[in-house]
Amino acid sequence: MSNVVSATLVHLQIAFLGVLLACIVGLPLAAYLLNHSKLSRYLFLIIDAIQTVPTLAMLTFVMLIFGLNNSTVIVAIFLYSLFPVIRNTYLGLSSVDPGTIRAARGIGMTTLQIFTKIRFPLAMPMILTGVRLAVVSALGIATTGVFIGAGGLGMLIWRGIQTRNMTMMLSGAIPVSVLAVFFEYSIGFFEKKLIRKSNHTA
Amino acid sequence: MADFFVEFQKNLPEILRALLQHIGISAAAILLGMIVAIPVGIWLTYHEKPAKVVMAVFGVVNTIPSIVLLGAAMILLGIGYIPAVAVLFLYSLLPILRATYTGICEVSPKCIKAATGMGMSKMQMLRLVQIPLALPAIITGIRLSTIYIISWATLAAFIGGGGLGDLIWMGLQSYNFGLVFCGAIPATVLSLVVSALLNLVIKRASRHKSEEAAV
Amino acid sequence: MVRFENVSMAYGTHEVLKNLNLHIGEGQLVVLIGPSGCGKTTTLQLINRLIRPTAGSIFVDGKDISQVDPVDLRRGIGYVIQEIGLFPHMTIQQNIEVVPKLLGWDENRRKERTLELLKLVNMDEKYLSSYPSELSGGQQQRIGLLRALAVEPPIILMDEPFGALDPITRESLQEEIKSLQQKLKKTIVFVTHDMDEALKLADTIVLMKDGEIVQAATPKQLLSNPANEFVEQFIGRHRIYGGKADTVSDVMSDKAACVLPELSLVESVELMRQKHVPSLFVVDDNHHLLGQITIEEIRQVYGRENIPVGEVPLYHGPTAVKDESAKEVFDMMMENHIDAVPVLDEENRVVGVVTRSSMVKSLAHVVWRDENG
Repeated sequence: MSNVVSATLVHLQIAFLGVLLACIVGLPLAAYLLNHSKLSRYLFLIIDAIQTVPTLAMLTFVMLIFGLNNSTVIVAIFLYSLFPVIRNTYLGLSSVDPGTIRAARGIGMTTLQIFTKIRFPLAMPMILTGVRLAVVSALGIATTGVFIGAGGLGMLIWRGIQTRNMTMMLSGAIPVSVLAVFFEYSIGFFEKKLIRKSNHTA
Repeated sequence: MADFFVEFQKNLPEILRALLQHIGISAAAILLGMIVAIPVGIWLTYHEKPAKVVMAVFGVVNTIPSIVLLGAAMILLGIGYIPAVAVLFLYSLLPILRATYTGICEVSPKCIKAATGMGMSKMQMLRLVQIPLALPAIITGIRLSTIYIISWATLAAFIGGGGLGDLIWMGLQSYNFGLVFCGAIPATVLSLVVSALLNLVIKRASRHKSEEAAV
Repeated sequence: MVRFENVSMAYGTHEVLKNLNLHIGEGQLVVLIGPSGCGKTTTLQLINRLIRPTAGSIFVDGKDISQVDPVDLRRGIGYVIQEIGLFPHMTIQQNIEVVPKLLGWDENRRKERTLELLKLVNMDEKYLSSYPSELSGGQQQRIGLLRALAVEPPIILMDEPFGALDPITRESLQEEIKSLQQKLKKTIVFVTHDMDEALKLADTIVLMKDGEIVQAATPKQLLSNPANEFVEQFIGRHRIYGGKADTVSDVMSDKAACVLPELSLVESVELMRQKHVPSLFVVDDNHHLLGQITIEEIRQVYGRENIPVGEVPLYHGPTAVKDESAKEVFDMMMENHIDAVPVLDEENRVVGVVTRSSMVKSLAHVVWRDENG
């Protein structure tokens, strides 16, 4: 049992570190792209292509640099998460009603204030959607990490499969599935709540 | 990298065979997925309640990591081509189903109104208006499915599905990274090429849209 | 062509139409108008069975439409909507040819018809291969109209077709509809909330409120004889040249110069000279109008002044009735250079006359009213 708990913790750590990195890079980058449409077009092409690389192939490519361990999986998750995070943040920030922006400027808000007080809060539901997509797929990618020697719940599943031990497989599969469904719906819940709130204020 | 070129030349016939196998598994899963998901997606647009249930169920299935379902399939169905295709097929359903459903639902009401008013039957409306207008969305769903499937087909190797995953798998087990890339690089190229091709098809299917609407 | 018999329509307990009876004649352009929620669009959509009544029957071309397959019914009825609803994935040509294609017309026939239709609205062939998104709103609605006309349905339904267009485009499309209607003689049912549009286009205006017909009349009748205060309010500023003060009975003179057919021509001319009138109405003993003589008729029998007027070939010009709009009669007189129009009662008896001096009287009336208003 303690096996499962520690594997779950490692699993979560890998998944969240990857997505967190993507947020740290992706959020400011998306904001920057708002005023650089040409750059954004190229960048979207690139992160879309990254997203297209098969998981196992990606892991082996990253492995060349980071070796056979958890950090390879974290970097792979980071790369995969760039697309949902940047794309959704960009869409969220750019879809704020121009009238709202003009009004904010009219009452004397600075560009920074407009960003932190208007654009960002209004884009929040979209950003959360991106994060949700990233987290759920990260949990899946993390299970694949076992093939390049990383830890997490994938290890239990894999050992179960290899030894045809259903119990062991399920001891990995159930927590990872529950986590995926949990994050899908809990983050989704916050999205809906925020959407209602922003509709209220708007 | 030098390893890779050596291995690549040495294993060229093997790589080609694996590539074809990979395409075979993916295509089978996607075609089956299309055959099932497109009609069901259309049917669901006429039946709101089942639609919600079906979407929710497949939403859950798709959040379950693929390796879990592959493992379950192996234990339940054994090793081989069939369990691999079965799992991939299952995964291919949701994106196509969802895309078809929302695509048809989002056909603008004014077109439906006009089509009804001019005396189109339900089938004619589907054939002439709804499906053509939903086509870009449906193909976008197919593209998404295809990318997932090509990716997960590499994992299917470990339950005996064959394909490029075999090479990666053998390479990893023997620490022969040259061999690993003999599987990983063709798989990546395949995925990129298919994705680009489908993007072209989407563009063609939405050529009637004006520049700004196509973004 | 279209007949509503005791038609009611309710959504739950909310009654949208209450026992509607309406007849739309062949070749007529009938405008349904009223405030939003009055049931005008519902009435329109009942005709092509987009919705079905809760009670009553609707007949199109004599057939109860509840007995007709809705698909067949709709193919015979053109439908133009405010949202236009061109199919964005089809070219203009494909859009126009949708229904002909459904009906199995071959390619040559379709193409021929399409070109013919384009000519009808003076649009260039170059648009045929464009997509709707490449056309302006006005051009799109022209195509919407052509699409509805493609298989020459005898009936066209138009649901606020120009409501989303800018005023200039709207104006020109109204002109086109008007002239198309004169050429093609379709039965058109047209929904709008714009009184200007209704007055410009309608043969008959059906004014509705709360699911009932308040008044169905020609534009002139509606303006001159609003049925009640609601109608007056609804027609609003348009009443300036309408209204009670401006009916024929208000402006006519009841001293029409009438003669019996036995009177000799010489005496008649003398009478005209005395009364300073340009024409005489020839009536029988019961004052029924037989005809009219003017200088023109007299000149034709010059030299035979002794015959009675009854033997002169009489002039049969336009006549008016008492509650007709004066403006309508004035317009007609101006247009046809007529000096005097007899006013008749229901039994064809002359009760008065409208002359050019009546116009001055009417004008004075308006001025006087405006000063006091």
